[in-house]
Amino acid sequence: MHKVGIDLGSSYTKGVLVDTEGKIIDSYVVKTGFDFNKASQKIIDKFSESHKIEYPVYTCGYGREQLDLPTVTNSEITALAKAIYTMYKKNCSIIDIGGQDTKYVKITEAGIVEKFKVNRKCAAGTGSFLEEIAFRMDVPPSEFKEYAEQATDNIKINSYCTVFAVSEIIGLIKNGNKLPNIIHGIYNSIVDRCMEMSLIEHTLIITGGIPANHPMILTLFKKRYEDCVSPDQSQILAAWGCVLLNLNKTKS
Amino acid sequence: MNDIKKEPAKLNSVNDLRKTMDGYFGRLNEASLTGNKKIAWCTSVGPAEILYSMGFEVYFPENHGAMLGASKMADKYIPVAVAHGYSPDICSYLTTDIGAFLLNETPLQKSGFKSVPKPDILVYNTNQCKEVNDWFSFYARHFNVPILGIHTPLSLKELTPTIINNIAEQFKELIPELEKVSDQKFDIDKFRETVRLSHEGCVLWRKILETAKHKPSPINFFDSVIHMGPIVVMRGTQYAVDYYKILLAELEEKIKNNNSSIPNEQFRIYWDGMPLWYKLSSMSKLFANLDTCIVASTYCNSWIFDSLDPADPFMSSAYAYCALFIVRADDEKEKVLENLINDFSIDGIIYHDSKTCPRNSNNRFGLQTRLAVKTKIPYLEINGDLCDSRCYSEEQSIIAIETFIDQLAANA
Ligand code: SF4
Repeated sequence: MHKVGIDLGSSYTKGVLVDTEGKIIDSYVVKTGFDFNKASQKIIDKFSESHKIEYPVYTCGYGREQLDLPTVTNSEITALAKAIYTMYKKNCSIIDIGGQDTKYVKITEAGIVEKFKVNRKCAAGTGSFLEEIAFRMDVPPSEFKEYAEQATDNIKINSYCTVFAVSEIIGLIKNGNKLPNIIHGIYNSIVDRCMEMSLIEHTLIITGGIPANHPMILTLFKKRYEDCVSPDQSQILAAWGCVLLNLNKTKS
Repeated sequence: MNDIKKEPAKLNSVNDLRKTMDGYFGRLNEASLTGNKKIAWCTSVGPAEILYSMGFEVYFPENHGAMLGASKMADKYIPVAVAHGYSPDICSYLTTDIGAFLLNETPLQKSGFKSVPKPDILVYNTNQCKEVNDWFSFYARHFNVPILGIHTPLSLKELTPTIINNIAEQFKELIPELEKVSDQKFDIDKFRETVRLSHEGCVLWRKILETAKHKPSPINFFDSVIHMGPIVVMRGTQYAVDYYKILLAELEEKIKNNNSSIPNEQFRIYWDGMPLWYKLSSMSKLFANLDTCIVASTYCNSWIFDSLDPADPFMSSAYAYCALFIVRADDEKEKVLENLINDFSIDGIIYHDSKTCPRNSNNRFGLQTRLAVKTKIPYLEINGDLCDSRCYSEEQSIIAIETFIDQLAANA
């Protein structure tokens, strides 16, 4: 029997299949859309093709209470911290950049959440900021990486608010700035918004779907804070953490 | 999904509370319909005692703002005020109240009022904020009635004799205009009596809030913000005193029987900042299900004026209304919070950063981090607003609150 962890994000729903020892056997990410149940069911169906699944399913994220499945719900921040501590086993700071929000979490040497912060209401520093700008500039986010690598100038985009940032970018275009430099500037702005969430201590671990899909973000974090890493598959860590948080409880 | 849903225990005194509040609104309505008494509008920590002593019925627009917020009507009214030139970034009690007024809508219409009771005079104290001056000025212009204000300096560290003497003088300077409007001579003995009653009510209110020191607590924040009605609007009257005797007796009985407010109290929280009026009931359930009781708050503590003294009514009023938390410098606030953390066995603090009420959001100048270093008590900041629900991200805040309780559990 295998356990399933599901992180219901605003943009993507992330699922992991975990064995009784807590090892990840498989993972699957689907678009959330408007139906949390449908998204979760796709994950369950996918895992059920090859493995027998044990209920309840361990969930976190925005739609965690609404599923028509037997579930045990968790806080996505506690779950993420659990996953990171299981991997690194030391005190560290985490910055997680998702579709709707950015989180800062500090964990102690014993793996306990000591402090955390979720970004304010606006989109600056989150995935929606990138998507909005991509839409406005008519450049698919998947092409951002390529452009940013060709940047020759370190442009700053200062606006907090996405709408203001868009006007700032229009100004930059009008002044003849090149697209690669502007996209590089957008990445810079995301990193700056994240760095001001709190004082960073110990190793900084970057997680979430946005840095996973935009590796330049990690490079820019490293410029500001050297001791900085991003684990593979960082998008699915909270889903995995959900299972880990309950592993010993269900074993006993 | 499979969780057992827990509810906080209900207080029986709520029926007496309703009667007490109905009586208050009944007297106001009678004054407004018959003119049997003059009506003064007053700020929530304004000089209510002097007004009651001179025979006014006293109406509090902030209480009205809270009613509009709790009835989830603010989102309809704020845009009306905004269209009239008020910024959506300023006090949402003000914008909600003025917006509702411009549409001639009030929840009081359900209790037989035609509209909010028309003022004969408006009296404010800027001890809480400057916004109240602008708010009351709108009505002074509209009704063309006198407006009086006590101008209290803010961010006070020490309450020096110079400051207190000045405020006491400002209290006295209200009298001639109040005499003119009320058609009554100021009577120092009547004033002493209202100050005595106000003091008695405040002492009872303090005792009520202090029952939450007991583990488990018989009362939580979501009860207190409702039951504080009489101390806000009937401070200085026998009605408030009578009601709080009933409530205190109930709570003492609950302590005797070890009856808690939250079914399985595990964590004790201090709440700083304004309530989110439009979320009271869902938040109350959220905390109950997290086995968490909010046992103390800056907000409910704001109506404890126990330095009021009938022997020296002017000086003691001046002192009491300056000693208030919201008037003080951060160093003083830190001391108060430190004591409350100890006295109420607090496990964690939640700071509600209320978008439109900077003066009631105490996490903006680093107090929260300084206090955490000193006390080692963890804290959480949530963004929201007292009335404007558009400033509040519920999902984000629920996740933050749940994580915070996980954090407290891991530390326990
Ligand atoms: S203290 Fe805050 S909520 Fe109260 S009147 Fe002033 S700005 Fe409004």
